[in-house]
Amino acid sequence: MLQKWCQTMRFSRLTYTPKDLVFGFSKNPLKYGTGLEVGNGVVVPEVKYFPRVEKDVREEYKSITEQLLKKAVALGIENLQLETELTYLEMEDPRLVVEQVNLQKDLIERYAKEYGLHVGYRVTVADIRDFGKPKHDEEGFNRMMEVFELVSSNGADVLSIESEGGKELFNYSIIRQDLLGIVSSLGYLATFDMKRLWKNIVSIARNKSVLAGGDSACAFANTAMKIAGGLKDNMIPHSLASIVRVMSACRSLIAFEEGATGPGKDCAYENIYLKAITGYPISMEGKTSAVAHSSLVGNIVAAACDLWSNEQVENIKLFGGYGPEVFLEILHYDTKLMNVAIEDKTHFCLRDLMIKSDKFLNPQAFVLSPDIVCSISEVIVGEKDELSRTVASAIKAIELMMAEEKLLLSRGEKRFIEMAKTRLEEIYSSPNEKVERALEQYEGKVEKLKVKDYLEV
Amino acid sequence: MSKDELLNAIRDSIVNLDFDKSKEYTLKALKAGATPQEIILKSIAEGMEIVGKKFEASEYFLSELIVAGEIGKEITKILEPYLKGEEIKKIGKVVIGTVRGDLHDIGKNIVAMMLEAAEFKVIDLGADVPPEKFVEAVKREKPDIVGMSALLTVTMVEMKNVIDALKEAGLRDKVKVIIGGAAVTEDYAKSIGADGYGANAVEGVRICKQWITGK
Repeated sequence: MLQKWCQTMRFSRLTYTPKDLVFGFSKNPLKYGTGLEVGNGVVVPEVKYFPRVEKDVREEYKSITEQLLKKAVALGIENLQLETELTYLEMEDPRLVVEQVNLQKDLIERYAKEYGLHVGYRVTVADIRDFGKPKHDEEGFNRMMEVFELVSSNGADVLSIESEGGKELFNYSIIRQDLLGIVSSLGYLATFDMKRLWKNIVSIARNKSVLAGGDSACAFANTAMKIAGGLKDNMIPHSLASIVRVMSACRSLIAFEEGATGPGKDCAYENIYLKAITGYPISMEGKTSAVAHSSLVGNIVAAACDLWSNEQVENIKLFGGYGPEVFLEILHYDTKLMNVAIEDKTHFCLRDLMIKSDKFLNPQAFVLSPDIVCSISEVIVGEKDELSRTVASAIKAIELMMAEEKLLLSRGEKRFIEMAKTRLEEIYSSPNEKVERALEQYEGKVEKLKVKDYLEV
Repeated sequence: MSKDELLNAIRDSIVNLDFDKSKEYTLKALKAGATPQEIILKSIAEGMEIVGKKFEASEYFLSELIVAGEIGKEITKILEPYLKGEEIKKIGKVVIGTVRGDLHDIGKNIVAMMLEAAEFKVIDLGADVPPEKFVEAVKREKPDIVGMSALLTVTMVEMKNVIDALKEAGLRDKVKVIIGGAAVTEDYAKSIGADGYGANAVEGVRICKQWITGK
């Protein structure tokens, strides 16, 4: 078992006002990699890629890294971050991961030396645990920690994960619009798991002098976003997906309370809440994620980013080059525009246009607007514990949606938020009692759910 | 309340997604002399039809359709002791699973629940299911349909392995095979010899129903 010496801290006030929450500027900027500065007045492209399945994975990563670094030189990109998201299959053989990370880091250092590039290198470890196994799959947990240690020793600058504690109950609840189940998953089960995971990850990061980046609620809020789909899909309410995003912010914040320092991982769209509260820099992805999934928040998510990223793009040949290098070029032009706006001191104007283009068209965009984020974050930091803040933040989000006449909501959405407010207020009246009683019931119904393992592991 | 009023009240509680009320009225209806078959036909089936229409009219969400289906299932459980050996008829049987190496099961779960609501018997094998488990289940359960899901391009190749394993076991022509999931396409379905492809849960269930009922 790894040492558990990290001290849990609570953020009791916001670091930002809505006025100064903007892209490129973080109250706690970071410097790492080959001299890359993040959050210090420049937005940096962070490119994420996916190897072709039929090729040798090490050769693929080598080829992708080389093409990206060459493209950076060709386009005059000075600051850049690469992100490798390890797959379940790669996690099976940690020795191969070490070879792969070494290969990528050697190339990064060679290009940095030759061309003066400032490059950061993020490695995201896959959550391979099978929560149905005893003690939540101790073997899986230990392998994850082993991989974190190995990548930290072999070149990663930033550690991240998309952890899945609480996911079994979340999956059951989201497709039933079961708010008590969602609250129990994000505000209770995930809380225990996040604390355990991040105590260990932060400990490794500190021992190895790398950055503990953050934990995306991809398995929760992005699942809800994906199921909600487009405006005509009618799968689950978009307002439900938006309150899941807000509740996920409470869950993802735990990584920072345990000592993470960012930069937050890109697919955590809830990152803007974490930046508002902690002041650490964040990576975001928006319209550039269309390569993997559609969303209704493509512009607004860039409003406060420090790194601007894409979703995983497969290393396939397009007319303009391979997928990752094409996306690096797109990210480069997006960030160039943001950086020129910063130089010209018109960045608040550009940010406001990003917000205006999405904010009122959908509740998922609405809850990512800096003014709304700060209002809800005030509630998050004001609550006494993780469960209460999860419920209270969702209620606040609904109140703000109800109060905003410009926000487009269908009849079904309006019906849902009225019902959801009543339900959440009931839960808020005695959250611990309601959740603990509900978990006893869920345990018999939800496959793989073992509540005791969350509390005891 | 009369028996007919109670049957209507059960139907309306399904439409209003109110499980507690539906349970209360079901027990009252049974006391008032309603038969299980009456409750199934006049309350559950009619209630589900109304919810289905509300979904088609974009008034209800898919999640509400699922909840209504689950309420229907819970009422059926209450009726079981009153059935006197009669079985509640299912229109067909489906063995379903997410293929080996893929742990993304939420889409598959939605399809499974919608199939149950559409009166299929569903054998859910879960996620990360190897081909031999599909084959075993087909031998054991003798389903009409096998459904497979994959989210990742890395894992969708497993769908072909399942179809090949079914062929090897001499079971391929005994079942229809339908596939779905973010990674797969209609062309891919054709290329591996699947009989159908569901671009989403609603379409997948529609195809399965069509195969069984011919409508």
